[in-house]
Amino acid sequence: MTATAKLQHDFSKLPEIFERHPQDDSSLIMILQDIQKEYRYLPCEALKLTAEQLQLPLSKVFSVATFYNAFSLNPKGEKVVRVCMGTACHIRGADLILDQISNHLGIKEGETTEDGKFSLEVVACVGACAMAPVVIVNDHYHGSVKVSGAKRLVKDK
Amino acid sequence: MINISINGRLVQAEEGEFLLTVMKRNGFKAPALCHHEAVEPYGGCRLCMVEISKPQWKGWKDLVVSCLYPVSADLEVQTDSEAVIQERKTVLHLLLARNPHTKEIKDLAAEYGIVRSKYQEVAEPDDCILCAICTRICDAMGFSAISLVNRGHGREVAPPLNEPPPDCTGCLACALNCPTNYIKYTDNGMTREIWGKTFEMLRDPQTGMPTITRVFAEYLTKHREIPEEYFGLGDESHRKRTARNFGKIAAWTREETVREEA
Amino acid sequence: MTEATTTTAATRKITSVKDLEKLRREHKAENDKYPKQVMVCCGTGCLANGAAQLVEAFHKALDEREIKDFEVKAIKETGCHGFCEQGPLVVIEPKGIFYTKVKPRDIPEIIEKSIESDEVIEKHLYVDPRDGKKIECYGEVSFFKHQERIALRNLGKIAAHSIGDYIAVGGYQAIAKALTKLTPDEVIEEVDQANLRGRGGGGFPAGRKWRTCRDVEADEHFVICNGDEGDPGAFMDRSIMEGDPHAVLEGMMIAAYAVGARRGFIYVREEYPLAVLHLQKAIDDCHEYGLLGENILGTDFSFDIRIARGAGAFVCGESSALMKSVAGLVGEPREKYIRSVIKGLWGKPTVLNNVETYVNVPVVINKGAKWFTSIGCENNSGTKAFSLVGKVRNTGLIEVAMGTTLREIIYDIGRGILNDRPFKAVQTGGPSGGCLPESMLDLPVDFDSLTKAGSMMGSGGMIVMDDRTCMVDVARYFLQFLVSESCGKCVPCREGLYQLHQMTIAVCEGRAEESDLEKIEELSDVVVKASLCGLGKSGPNPVLSTLRYFRDEWEAHIREKRCPAGVCRELITYTVNEKCTGCVACITACAYNAITGEKKQPHFIHQDRCTKCGACVAVCRYDAIDVA
Repeated sequence: MTATAKLQHDFSKLPEIFERHPQDDSSLIMILQDIQKEYRYLPCEALKLTAEQLQLPLSKVFSVATFYNAFSLNPKGEKVVRVCMGTACHIRGADLILDQISNHLGIKEGETTEDGKFSLEVVACVGACAMAPVVIVNDHYHGSVKVSGAKRLVKDK
Repeated sequence: MINISINGRLVQAEEGEFLLTVMKRNGFKAPALCHHEAVEPYGGCRLCMVEISKPQWKGWKDLVVSCLYPVSADLEVQTDSEAVIQERKTVLHLLLARNPHTKEIKDLAAEYGIVRSKYQEVAEPDDCILCAICTRICDAMGFSAISLVNRGHGREVAPPLNEPPPDCTGCLACALNCPTNYIKYTDNGMTREIWGKTFEMLRDPQTGMPTITRVFAEYLTKHREIPEEYFGLGDESHRKRTARNFGKIAAWTREETVREEA
Repeated sequence: MTEATTTTAATRKITSVKDLEKLRREHKAENDKYPKQVMVCCGTGCLANGAAQLVEAFHKALDEREIKDFEVKAIKETGCHGFCEQGPLVVIEPKGIFYTKVKPRDIPEIIEKSIESDEVIEKHLYVDPRDGKKIECYGEVSFFKHQERIALRNLGKIAAHSIGDYIAVGGYQAIAKALTKLTPDEVIEEVDQANLRGRGGGGFPAGRKWRTCRDVEADEHFVICNGDEGDPGAFMDRSIMEGDPHAVLEGMMIAAYAVGARRGFIYVREEYPLAVLHLQKAIDDCHEYGLLGENILGTDFSFDIRIARGAGAFVCGESSALMKSVAGLVGEPREKYIRSVIKGLWGKPTVLNNVETYVNVPVVINKGAKWFTSIGCENNSGTKAFSLVGKVRNTGLIEVAMGTTLREIIYDIGRGILNDRPFKAVQTGGPSGGCLPESMLDLPVDFDSLTKAGSMMGSGGMIVMDDRTCMVDVARYFLQFLVSESCGKCVPCREGLYQLHQMTIAVCEGRAEESDLEKIEELSDVVVKASLCGLGKSGPNPVLSTLRYFRDEWEAHIREKRCPAGVCRELITYTVNEKCTGCVACITACAYNAITGEKKQPHFIHQDRCTKCGACVAVCRYDAIDVA
């Protein structure tokens, strides 16, 4: 896993990301979110460039990057599987669904498969409670997921 | 100026002053682990909590952290009531669970009759009590080289990206002010190492002793308008030079006085 | 999502109330052109079930041939009705014909029968789970019939991303009235008289908050909308932000006018991308129409709004942490000794209110305080939106007058418990709230009554639990959540909740002793008193409320090492019973090779290998696996 953390990236996109937001500290979180979306994680170099751009100490940028759940300092898989663990989903068996997917992929939550195809995460609540339990694969929401059908969501197509 | 009462005694204070400051000034004590004179109060350890009330609250009481609570007229404070002691003891049990081998915590807990935590000790305890004095002082120094990372129980003090911090100048403010001496550094003759970063020390030509790091000296020269040559000498050499100068001034003064009298 | 349906009325800046009225008439006329309109729900839930494909199917049908009096513009992509389990939902106005679980292949028939003609297609109608009757009209569906929708008034009725639709139904009339007919003080007075209390859960009177903020002398005041909605199980704000974004903006404008703010922020949770999209579109449209920016409606009131996105931190729903996050910092709360109305965002006086509070504001201004106080009950005027979810038949978003009882909500609207299982508890108020048992069902739901019973109304999450829910497990679940969301600054929350969690896990796993209960209660007490912010202060509530009403369950786990609800894995066993037909489905499903048996022979579960993952129970069609 750590080997992939030192991937080479093209950071020429960063100036464009910076320009989308007002040039002050309050844009830090949204800039990091845009970077996260672009590279699927926050590369170290990108954090350094962001600190320079906003004239913030690197330590502050790092604090923010490690405080919020949305940010990942490690690359994510091609497909990010997010299992909702909100209360409604919990009552309707989210734990069991997480187990099924975790076993099937051979990884625990917060991890990525060796081949880089899948990452497994848990989310606090995505607000689709009336369709609990919910699993999101990249941006696709799957509602009313059954324990027996959980594995199907992560089958390689 | 307003009057407030602490443990039944009336004292004076400015409206809005922090309660802990008023307490200390008047000889009242409360433990305050995350408190440090050089930085703003933090309100993290919760040990300085005291019980407050006001006549108009009709018997209703509240527990507040005295380090951050702004005093106002008619405040009635109890620094060691039953509720306060119970709270402090519980917090000490919790701290002891996180830092069971840390001398400062053990000593403080012993003052309250606590030897071991009643809660489950963490797996790999260290001496960091997460008081954040180090990070706050580093901010106050103007470097912000280290910060608090992660969230919740996994929170820790760390350099950014877990690499030697680019903004650290080796000034040692963090290590020297850490209440549990958790932050380690080594001085090896002409180098210093802290947070995984190595620094070159300046040497006092007169004593041959290392003084401060080159980087810190450069920062002070640039930002605090102190002449560069000042850092060429260590404290002892400065003292000797000042003493010699005073000696010279005293000698001239004596000569002048003698000449006048003559 | 298809392109926003812009109206034919030329987009131009609204510089006066007259302009607004003209635009309203024009947009309304545009809508009235069509005798029938189709509302396709495009909230997150229905989109997940394929609503976008429904819209495409409609468009395709229109491409293929002309349909009398029906064009693309008559198809409205609306916000969430709140009835997600029945989706995708299609409503045909003006009759309100309500079709559920619609698929793209159903569209041609719907067009032929219900649009070109006046027939109702029975197979798509909602079936009442209590009596099996089919219901034609939206207003007659038990779920909607008992509701009083004020905050949710436009959801499902207007195209979510159309400023034209919002104006057509009277949008922005309230800000127009405020700007031209009322002084800021009069606006505050009206909101105060209406007794509009914070809908985010705090219940603090909004009018009083605004007045205090306004009275602070400063060079800048701020208005912030809390769209973080961190309580798991709650999605009222999501639906409002997605489905009626302009109402949020209008409410904020009125607040800004009242307190003298020039800048506002909407803090939206990271997990709500559609809400961010729709709000941004609404803001952009307002810029174009001159409803945000300088000299709004030709007055000297200038105001602009920016979206600030959350990044996955429940603690950022707390006001002081939220403001830190807006400023790009770590979301650490601070002491409330100096309130944020006095010193808030960047040290300036700030009004922070919830999404639902803001959308009530235009209604209060338009219809008046007296009208608002006529709804609800003593000291709790108006309505409240709830997310009714869990083991209840009709799950979804509802809005009822304050003072409606839990029983009415769960049984009249929710139609009772799923699969006819016995009701056990209803959890309200999110992680800060508590669980109430059957004996409390006749409590009125308002800001005060539930708190007295040891729970709280909170932001509106209402999770119904049946006998198969273990209350100790619920306490454990909430503690796990809170421990992972704690910011870590203060010892009582960071260490205290962590220890409470560890002790509760021990109870769930049968490792606890009698004395642990006392330890748990004692620690809970201190965490409540000594924590810095609301997260820590209310963190022990799930423990305390389940101990209060379900102590026997805690004791069973401790004394008998037994989980009465059959949930806690260490304390239950899965066994195959006599109903087993030997179909090998469970053997195939088991990932741990814990089940053995031949085809058509009774199967056997090996306890030493079984992890209680539930896969076998899930696939068994014969109810042949007992969990006890």
